[in-house]
Amino acid sequence: MDITEYIKLVFTDYTLRTITLGTAILGAVTGMLGSFAVLRKQSLLGDAISHAALPGIAIAFLITGAKDSNILLLGALVSGLIGTFWIRGIISKTHLKSDTALGLILSLFFGFGMLLLTFIQKQPNANQAGLDKYLFGQAATLVESDVWLMSIVTGACLLVLLLFWKEFKILLFDADYTKTLGFNTKFIDILITTFIVLAIVLGLQTVGVVLMSAMLLAPAAAARQWTNSLGIMVFLAATFGAFSGVFGTAISASQNNLSTGPVIVIVAGVFVLISFIFSPSRGLLFKQIRFIKNRRDLQLHKTLSFMYHIAETHENISHPHAIKILNNFQGFTKGTLQKLVRKNYVKLEGSMWSLTTEGFKTASNLYNQQTENNE
Amino acid sequence: MSSAQIEIQLIASLVAIACAIPGTFLVLRKMAMISDAISHSILPGIVIGFFITQDLNSPLLILLAAITGIITVVLVEYIQKTGLVKEDTAIGLVFPILFSIGVILIAKNANDVHLDVDAVLLGELAFTPFDRLLIAGVDVGPKSLWVIGCILLITIGLLFAFFKELKISTFDAGLAASLGFSPAVIHYGLMTVSSVTTVGAFDAVGAILVVALMIAPAATAYLLTTNLKRMLVYAICFGVFSAISGYWLAHWLDASIAGSITTMLGILFLMVYLFAPNKGVIAVLYREKQQRTEVSLLTFLLHLRNHNEEEERHVNHLNEHINWQKVRSKTVLELALKNNMIVIDNHIVSLTEKGTDFTSQAIDYIITNEDSKIEHMKDDFFLFRG
Repeated sequence: MDITEYIKLVFTDYTLRTITLGTAILGAVTGMLGSFAVLRKQSLLGDAISHAALPGIAIAFLITGAKDSNILLLGALVSGLIGTFWIRGIISKTHLKSDTALGLILSLFFGFGMLLLTFIQKQPNANQAGLDKYLFGQAATLVESDVWLMSIVTGACLLVLLLFWKEFKILLFDADYTKTLGFNTKFIDILITTFIVLAIVLGLQTVGVVLMSAMLLAPAAAARQWTNSLGIMVFLAATFGAFSGVFGTAISASQNNLSTGPVIVIVAGVFVLISFIFSPSRGLLFKQIRFIKNRRDLQLHKTLSFMYHIAETHENISHPHAIKILNNFQGFTKGTLQKLVRKNYVKLEGSMWSLTTEGFKTASNLYNQQTENNE
Repeated sequence: MSSAQIEIQLIASLVAIACAIPGTFLVLRKMAMISDAISHSILPGIVIGFFITQDLNSPLLILLAAITGIITVVLVEYIQKTGLVKEDTAIGLVFPILFSIGVILIAKNANDVHLDVDAVLLGELAFTPFDRLLIAGVDVGPKSLWVIGCILLITIGLLFAFFKELKISTFDAGLAASLGFSPAVIHYGLMTVSSVTTVGAFDAVGAILVVALMIAPAATAYLLTTNLKRMLVYAICFGVFSAISGYWLAHWLDASIAGSITTMLGILFLMVYLFAPNKGVIAVLYREKQQRTEVSLLTFLLHLRNHNEEEERHVNHLNEHINWQKVRSKTVLELALKNNMIVIDNHIVSLTEKGTDFTSQAIDYIITNEDSKIEHMKDDFFLFRG
């Protein structure tokens, strides 16, 4: 189907509209909260929490026997929080490092969740079918009430972010200072972590346990490349997240046999790749360009200083010399010589060159650091 | 026990041993999450290998998947080196994307591929005995048993051959480099072994259990010992114990074997985490409480030394002066009495000779502010600890 047809469908078709809206909102909220996870160096926490939520879903189902997605998500939230705080306990109380703690909780909780899921599957309860959609997510199962729930959580999260913006920001960049100012760091910390867990749990239904961490990280990592301001980063991350949701849904809807979760993740990955390469201040491309430019400048300076040392030995600094004597020195080409001429440092006459007064002055101050950056 | 049951337990135990060995080093090198990343990102390698060979146990598949594992590590390190994001973000970005590619590859070819994501992630140990290896028409055992057996043999061989190098580069990479062992070679060697083990094991037990079997036994062992050899032995024992007990738990509950092995690992870790003699949570909490009382005692003795006036040394007055709760002052007073640091005469507390001695040494310690522990002083003076 072509694009115009697709856009028409988004507005007319109930299922497609719900899914597009749902993934967009999900992308926005995970991008927003993911910024904090990335900046707090808790990137992998998302991965651990999303796995740790699985037993909660299974236990919630075992207790209620019904597949009400709100109750299942509540179970996921509780078990995700238990996982998070156990990770903290392991890091603070033992000498195990954070990566070990994350890996432990991730795999142990997930394994336990699998045990429960397979146990449930053997139970004579017709309701249990479809619980395993939480493993890989199925955006197609989103209904309007799910989208409402997401919107409410996003709204609440936005409200809390605005209310505690100052606190979050200061905790993020200088935790010790926050403490000395008298803020209750533990409370702020728990608040932000709870919201991160909440966002992850919301996404489980759509993109699943395994890919949730990318939803959290990718928009934030992409946004980080474009700005150094937290506010702009959070906004950009939310935008990137929302667009990955929309594009991902569009691509997977227009093809057969493409599940939405992985496509969204790959779209987000493309955002990251583009940001890594093309961001003006941090991107790899511009970094390389700057690198080459700096190298050229350095070569130019080398040529100039070589000329300076020759000119120094003569009484008249503008005494002409043959270009040939620059030959044993690699830094010179016709191009660089022309460049020097254009800057009015050097005069060329036939096969002879001579330094101008200005060129001599610049060259003598080249390594003094006091001259302005002469480009 | 039927022969299939024995075979399943044998495979599970071999996988546990094969995972515990690289896992120990991963935990010590703070690279535990790399194993998680590898276990997910080998999926595209497996899928492509499967398209080529149409056989889940072919060596080519293992090779391709192991290469994908190495690519993951290299990619993570490259992204990290650009300085654009931190290491953990790099890991968190690379593996879900590679995994997504794998999932999409499977989905696009779902009709003609006998391979689904659940099987890759979770594995199914119960079916392994059905896939027999036939050599010249003779049944020599399950295929997975041979695959994991070979990997285990290679791993053990490498472990014995390079134990010294591994040990030194794990604990002091700088020293290893200056002695002429290339840390890069050892690093990528370990990564290769981890990838190969993950691939060899995933078919039997699934990607997540591989991560659990790599990290959990090693982490549990690390809480019990600080000796590398002992840690390896403990990790192997824990792995094998969970593998066998997990099998029987699954048998009893009629649930996934991989899930129950992980659950056993979890229970084991929880027990050690709570009750380990030196590093368990209870031991740590107890020691913290002990140290708090001992610091209080020190404060109290210093206070006594500074005040010669009788009214300052009255038992009731101390309560108010140092502003302690009643229970706490009582504990501290009792501890001081038990250690013969003070005598209480008619509700007046005074330092004994030993108490004076201890206090002056403590003052010396505080003034010089040396970067050593006060523990040896406590050992010299304390008959009873807080």
